[in-house]
Amino acid sequence: MKGPLRVHRLLERLDINRESVLVVRGDTLVTGDALLEDTDEIEVRPVISGGSS
Amino acid sequence: MIELRRHNAAFCRDCFLHHSREQVRKAIDDFEMMGPGDRVLVAVSGGKDSLALWDILLDLGYAADGLYLGLGIGEYSADSAHHARAFATRREARLVEVDIPAEFGFDIPTGARAAKRAPCSACGLSKRHLFNQAALDGGYDVVATGHNLDDEAAVLFGNTLRWNVDYLSRQRPVLPAERGFVKKVKPLVRLGEREMAAYCVLTGIDYIVEECPMAAGNKHLGYKEALNAIEVDSPGAKAAFYFEFLDKAAHRFEAATMGEAEVELRSCSSCGAPTTGDVCAFCKLVARAATP
Repeated sequence: MKGPLRVHRLLERLDINRESVLVVRGDTLVTGDALLEDTDEIEVRPVISGGSS
Repeated sequence: MIELRRHNAAFCRDCFLHHSREQVRKAIDDFEMMGPGDRVLVAVSGGKDSLALWDILLDLGYAADGLYLGLGIGEYSADSAHHARAFATRREARLVEVDIPAEFGFDIPTGARAAKRAPCSACGLSKRHLFNQAALDGGYDVVATGHNLDDEAAVLFGNTLRWNVDYLSRQRPVLPAERGFVKKVKPLVRLGEREMAAYCVLTGIDYIVEECPMAAGNKHLGYKEALNAIEVDSPGAKAAFYFEFLDKAAHRFEAATMGEAEVELRSCSSCGAPTTGDVCAFCKLVARAATP
């Protein structure tokens, strides 16, 4: 996607609930107001598990 | 690094890790979950919640061993076992392992089909039985599971939709020791799933991210999605739902079921575990799986 784009806007565009994921850039987490550039590679990691541990 | 909207706060790495440990410490203290000298058996799946819980309990100074149950669910079980063992090695902690296919002759998918139960039902039944048995066999004072705030809110939501009064009367972060059952506690109840995943990412704990293939589309996931849809517009809704239930409503459901005759428990004729019948539900499952 074309940057710059705030993380929470990206999640809205992907129709992903921000409460259900972590966003990881490299080896760090990024908050919802972090700005993503064209060249950034991020992981949108689901955190919801379906059963108990 | 991470914002927690229900706390109206954002945290750097060190402060977030401190926050996580303090929330566990507070849950342990508020609900009297365990004492400093207690031997704790942590139910470990290789997932983010149970590994984070084990890590935090060790950091808080508890004598905490892990228990991993092999469920026989193909690649998923192989991967989850790998993550559990890797963590135990990293922390030089003791991991007890029970392999259901090797020790009882069936895997969860086969057992579920033979007993005409949903896989999650056969899995939960097996886990509860085997966690308790391992704790008794090993002389542990308490079993700790990685149920987090999102898990408990989803269970509460499901029980409330159907007004399962019996379950509502028993949903607590602590189930006391009684009649052949070891005390069971949920020290992560003050922390959400995002927080547990973040804890693992920030501490470098490698956990299994893939979901159990048997869980796809289950009701529990649906309840979590529904609650998260509320939470995104009303941060703190899940915590309020669960903790206000404990504070204001749980005792009313307990009182409503108090007049009922106490269920008589006896020892399973096969394994000795507490049961209302002649044979416990787990031994029935084993027997049915053996004769498809």
